[in-house]
Amino acid sequence: MGRARAAVAATLVLALLTVVVASAANARSERATVTTVTLSGWSAGKTEDDLLQQIVNDFNTTHPAIHVDYSVINGDYATAMTARFAAHNPPDVFYVDSSIAPTWIKQGVVQPLNAFIKKSKYDTTKFYPGLLSAFKVGKNYYGFPKDWSPLAVEINKAMFAKAGIKKAPRTWAELTADAQKLASSGAVPGGKPLCLPADWARMLAFVFQNKGSLANVQAPAVAAAVNYYTSFFKNGLAATPTQLGVGWPGEALGKEKAAIIFEGNWLLPYMKSTFPQVGFGVGPMVKGKVNGNLGFTVSYSMAKDAKNKQAAWTLLSWLTGKVGMSKWMSLGLALPSRSDVKAVGGRAPFLAAGPSSRGWGFPNFSATLTIMNNDLQAVIDGHKTTAEMLSDVNASLKG
Amino acid sequence: MTSATETVPAAGRGSLFGARLREAGWGYLFVLLPMAVFGLFFIYPLVYGIYISFFEWGILGKAAGATASTENYHALWDDQVFHRAMRNTFEYALLVVPLEMALGLLLALVINARIRGRAFFRSAFYVPSIVSSVAITTIAIFILNPDGLLNKIIGSDQAWFGDSSTALYSVVGLNAWTTAGTVMLFYLAALQSIPTDVYEAAAVDGTSRWRTFWRITFPLLKPAHFFVLVVFGIGALKVFDQFYIVSNGTGGPEYSTLSAVFYIYQEAFKSANFGQGAAAGVVLFVAIFLLTLIQRATVGRAEIG
Amino acid sequence: MTLQTSVASAEPLVPPRARSEIAGRALLYVLLVAFALLFFTPFIWTIATSFKTLPDSAFFNLIPDPFTTEAWKSVWNDYDFKRYALNSFFLAVVVTLLNLFLASLGGYAFARLRFPGREVLFVLILGTLMIPDQLRLIPIFVMLTNWHLIGNFSGYILINLVTAVNLFFMRQYFLTIPRDFEEAAKLDGAGYFKTYWRIMLPLAGPAIAALAILQFQGTWNDFFWPLILFGQGSEHLYTMQLGLAQLTLTYQTLWPQLMAGSLIAIAPILIIFLIFQRFFVSGVTAAGIKG
Repeated sequence: MGRARAAVAATLVLALLTVVVASAANARSERATVTTVTLSGWSAGKTEDDLLQQIVNDFNTTHPAIHVDYSVINGDYATAMTARFAAHNPPDVFYVDSSIAPTWIKQGVVQPLNAFIKKSKYDTTKFYPGLLSAFKVGKNYYGFPKDWSPLAVEINKAMFAKAGIKKAPRTWAELTADAQKLASSGAVPGGKPLCLPADWARMLAFVFQNKGSLANVQAPAVAAAVNYYTSFFKNGLAATPTQLGVGWPGEALGKEKAAIIFEGNWLLPYMKSTFPQVGFGVGPMVKGKVNGNLGFTVSYSMAKDAKNKQAAWTLLSWLTGKVGMSKWMSLGLALPSRSDVKAVGGRAPFLAAGPSSRGWGFPNFSATLTIMNNDLQAVIDGHKTTAEMLSDVNASLKG
Repeated sequence: MTSATETVPAAGRGSLFGARLREAGWGYLFVLLPMAVFGLFFIYPLVYGIYISFFEWGILGKAAGATASTENYHALWDDQVFHRAMRNTFEYALLVVPLEMALGLLLALVINARIRGRAFFRSAFYVPSIVSSVAITTIAIFILNPDGLLNKIIGSDQAWFGDSSTALYSVVGLNAWTTAGTVMLFYLAALQSIPTDVYEAAAVDGTSRWRTFWRITFPLLKPAHFFVLVVFGIGALKVFDQFYIVSNGTGGPEYSTLSAVFYIYQEAFKSANFGQGAAAGVVLFVAIFLLTLIQRATVGRAEIG
Repeated sequence: MTLQTSVASAEPLVPPRARSEIAGRALLYVLLVAFALLFFTPFIWTIATSFKTLPDSAFFNLIPDPFTTEAWKSVWNDYDFKRYALNSFFLAVVVTLLNLFLASLGGYAFARLRFPGREVLFVLILGTLMIPDQLRLIPIFVMLTNWHLIGNFSGYILINLVTAVNLFFMRQYFLTIPRDFEEAAKLDGAGYFKTYWRIMLPLAGPAIAALAILQFQGTWNDFFWPLILFGQGSEHLYTMQLGLAQLTLTYQTLWPQLMAGSLIAIAPILIIFLIFQRFFVSGVTAAGIKG
């Protein structure tokens, strides 16, 4: 009986290998006359994936000499892509997050695009400079932003009404005042007025608003901004998501454990589908001494090892061009990174941040972010001082 | 019981040597395929890792103009984050492994005894091991919420995963709960190999049930103990997923859920610093290796093959 | 001597002793059931959530409100879970069978056959356990790419032909089997393979059963390697876990669909477990040894 089983297994394996090899060979011969370009990215949900597939189909129809194969990577994108880079077998065109762009560019796996730009006279002036610069090193362009989102203020309308506040806070002063009103009027039972994560991906905006920057992270302006952010915790006006028992501030807003959060455009589809009964409002990000915001953006880039660079360029420039990007904007899932493409309605608070948004990313990103966020949690808990954190961050940015 | 060396009818030294040769030949043949797999997919990557740990190594290979040096190891020596990761990892393993073993053995003994509804309990205890780890971790986060089930029962408002002093220990509890079912299976199988006459002899002798277990069953399970200790001990030192999920990928709060493998992962795949990641991997490997040698010397000695 | 005195004290005829034993047993059962319920909770929550709407799934009530089969319909129609299940099943069966064979054969060799360097090789095998996947990834991926084993199942099957855990466990198990059987086989003139196939393997029933369950489940639940080795560009090759990953997004998890999909994923594991667990009944192999 056992022998039969082993024989079955061996036959199965052999059969599979045959099928696989045959189908691979078959596939290759079918596409011999048309240039194939592979496109890859992570998934933002079935709706988005289907939309992008639709756009790809449109491209294939209007560009009969090129066939684009779009496939999604449904897991750890950075790891899967790194493995493919290492094996010199990456997709031709792919997503690059602004935070990992400097690393991949430095590693030499992303194709510089200047020659293609010059040859096709591609107009790069329509991209928001703050976003475009996230994918530019020196004079070289390594990709174009396909969409983006900054942070905005989202509030719970009912709780605000209960506290007698008419609209979302616009300045630091208003933010502090509103938080205090919400607390004293008991408008947020079982929660806190603000849900602030121990995350520099939110706090850095406040640093920018106080005229601070990562170039000089131990400056007083930065320390003051940090202290402002952490003061809400010390005064009992804010809690981290974990302290509220949720995964992120959006969930806190949905479960009505917070009245004010700072999130981007991604919050809207989430609230609509998961917490449709919660009435919330969106206002532009608060202003400190100046306007300051973070631009979370992703580019389409080309692989250095791409097999058909000209065809890949055609796809890349089309997707980030006016036509391609307009199609992508049609469902309101993201904001256009070009000034000549319209967003769907109701996005004014986000778009207003265009000029003051700086691309999200910095040197030695991953290791530094770990230190940033763990130290920030320590500062919030009173186990570390702001100065100590900034010193650690400075060392990591340089190292 | 005859010893293994006497199994071949001795018909002169030549034939004995030939028999030994044949035995060795068959031995090598039986382990050929496994050793090939291990060699190609474990040993070679390890050697490769050791090699690149002495260079500045990127996604596409050696960085331009890089020369062999112990730079990466020096960087590890100076990196507080790495130190904390190693400390967390060993503290975690030291706590979770005895817990898993005890729980798994307890469950196996209970199931093995003649109780009614054995099949039901067997399945029930094994269920957490097969439910997806996403679901399990979510439920654990829910139960250990500041306003969750556990706190309601014991009357507290502690944020178990959100507090740097309890986060690690909460994951210990979570993982012990989910892996107990798997440990139980190994012990159950091992318990079957103990012939029932052993128990009968003990019963006839009037030995109490506790004594039977402690003096007879427990020692007879030594090969299983060694196995569980080594396999789950090593598994614990390689912990990554649960720490990653409960801390949302940050290793927090305040570095309390940073693990050694997380450090390797971050250096290699987020910072594209393969040389450093490999160096960390080598350090972890050496640490585990030494630990396993110690385990083998203490527990493994009992079963000389 | 010992027999006499023990017989005298072995069977108490005093009722109170028996009553406390019944009470003890009852307590044991209560504890067991409570424990079992605790262990069962994730399962119950999974089932409940699969019948909820997305807004309702954000909360942890065990009764869906409203009750809906939307998630199940979505999982069946929008995603190709039939195909994913088939792929997972195929891989799990193939890898499990190969593992059972190679691990038991190798385990037997390490437990019973003598060959030079055996102990060193065994330590080497233990050593492979200590190498984290993240460290192995790049060299393996580059190797398999060069051999054109990426993008299909063959690379995955190749690297999972046999695992150190399985081989190690079989070795430990074979060590506990008395040598009498092999002696008998040798006297009958059986060669090494025949001894393994006809004698040792049948005796290792419980170990094989345990490994079958665990390896099947391990392959079934494997996410990392399938993602890396064939998870890009070939949706028709997706396993259950890759399929389920479509339901977990950066800022949102489609809990009802995810739970419905997970239940589809759990079903075969549960069935395999229920089939093989009866080999854990004590006395089955004991009888074999006595005979």
